[in-house]
Amino acid sequence: MGTTPYANPAVYIVEGLLVFFILYKIISARRGRELFIRRITGLSSLDEAVGRATEMGKPMLFVPGIGGLTVVGLQAMAILQHVVQRAAKFLTRVIVPNIDPIMFTISEEISKEAYNAEGVPEQFDPEDIRYLSSDQFALAAGVVGIMHREKTATVLYFGEFFAEALILAENGQMVGAIQIAGTPSITQVPFFLAACDYTIIGDEYYAASAYLSREPTLLGSLVGQDYGKLLMMGLIVIGAIAVTLVSVAPWLPGLGWLNANFLRYFLR
Amino acid sequence: MTTSTHHGLWSILWGAVVAERHGTVLALLIAGSLLVGAGILWMLMSVPTRYRKPVVMAVTFLGGLILALEFLAGSEKWHPLTDFLPTYGNVQMVIGSFALLLGIINLFMIHGQAVSKRTKGWANSLAFFVAFFAIMMAGFVKDYATAKAVSGSADSIFTVFFEGFLMPLSSTMFSMIAFYIASAAYRAFRIRSTESALMMITASILMLGLVPAGLYLTAWLPEPLSWLRLENLSAWLLVGPNMAVQRAMAFGIAVGALAVGLRIWLSLERGSFFDRQL
Repeated sequence: MGTTPYANPAVYIVEGLLVFFILYKIISARRGRELFIRRITGLSSLDEAVGRATEMGKPMLFVPGIGGLTVVGLQAMAILQHVVQRAAKFLTRVIVPNIDPIMFTISEEISKEAYNAEGVPEQFDPEDIRYLSSDQFALAAGVVGIMHREKTATVLYFGEFFAEALILAENGQMVGAIQIAGTPSITQVPFFLAACDYTIIGDEYYAASAYLSREPTLLGSLVGQDYGKLLMMGLIVIGAIAVTLVSVAPWLPGLGWLNANFLRYFLR
Repeated sequence: MTTSTHHGLWSILWGAVVAERHGTVLALLIAGSLLVGAGILWMLMSVPTRYRKPVVMAVTFLGGLILALEFLAGSEKWHPLTDFLPTYGNVQMVIGSFALLLGIINLFMIHGQAVSKRTKGWANSLAFFVAFFAIMMAGFVKDYATAKAVSGSADSIFTVFFEGFLMPLSSTMFSMIAFYIASAAYRAFRIRSTESALMMITASILMLGLVPAGLYLTAWLPEPLSWLRLENLSAWLLVGPNMAVQRAMAFGIAVGALAVGLRIWLSLERGSFFDRQL
């Protein structure tokens, strides 16, 4: 037996459909089809957050979480690119503290390119992109120190967070920063909701780069995701009905066969 | 040639690649790998972006393909790629180690400038250098002592640094969460809207349902109304509405992660490596 579990028929079917929806919508969006995306308050307020830091003449702080080089971390980097580009337009500094050395090099490269894209490469300060420590609480102490020393006007949290989330967000409150958080870490969402001005929850986190850039590829992928969620909802409803029928009307013809095969091929 | 012969040849070749080596051979292999790695990096950096992009795209696709095939095509009876996963992890670790060096250089630059320019708080930067070299030397001494099978003070120096300094400092930061929870809860529970009122009521039921005083408050309710007792309401809130919302979020997050993963794998994501949409 291997060290990892392997795909079963349910994975082939569900994942195959999800991939189909996403790729199909990406292709149709790139062919020029207009796609609607609802307003996400937290992301719409990014401009307000950048503007506040610019007016106050204070730096912004972008914390890309402590998850390292994962899909969550890479999404944080995509958001960082937009944030730095907007900040560079107004010559506002963005400090990026990192826990992971690989993420540190990626965020340095992204920031440099964002300043280049805005035509102000000389404004990029390599010292604003910092590797602090690979230890969770050492990073938290370092970030809190930066907040208090630099009196950051805006703090953005995008990425994977654990126990340090509340320490960071409460200190951001103490320095009076406008705070926007976005995380797929479900357990940390309540802390961010309590301590931040805006919180982007759940899959809104993955919609951020599409929402900010409005690029057809990303928008198409976002609509494809929604079709995927519809599929999930449909499966949940069907599953709930099936389980209820098995329990209240087991005599229904074909139900036993369906249940046995579903368990055999999908849930083994 | 039969399948078993293929498998045998593959095993011999793979075994020769991943075999454990020591001494001069190991040192030569490390030096050779460093040279080859530096050469590849130099070649990548010196070619124009339009030629670099396909290489980055191909490596990204290949890296993702190995993991996708391992999961999708593998089974408990046939899983050749699963055996390759430790090597895959080692490659990631080696790349990460190079990046760690860059991280340390960044730390030295920032704190070195603070010390040399005597900026505000430069003593903290000096403390960083002292701590960095102290624990590094303690680690080297400990490894040397372990290799030579000598026990004693080498271990204790490292223990003092690790268990005497680092762990208490981490625990101190962690313990501060207790105070922050109180201040965050105060802000969250101020009733300013319908939503915050709902949150306040729900949180009160949950908290009271978990303490003896709360249980005492509704213990008098008769059996037909026992579902209204605070401990039962609290349990229902946790396993009912709370779990439903958490699972809904988890589904959305999983689909979102799949979409982002797919875009990165197929190089459709606009990022630092691609200056235009591909």
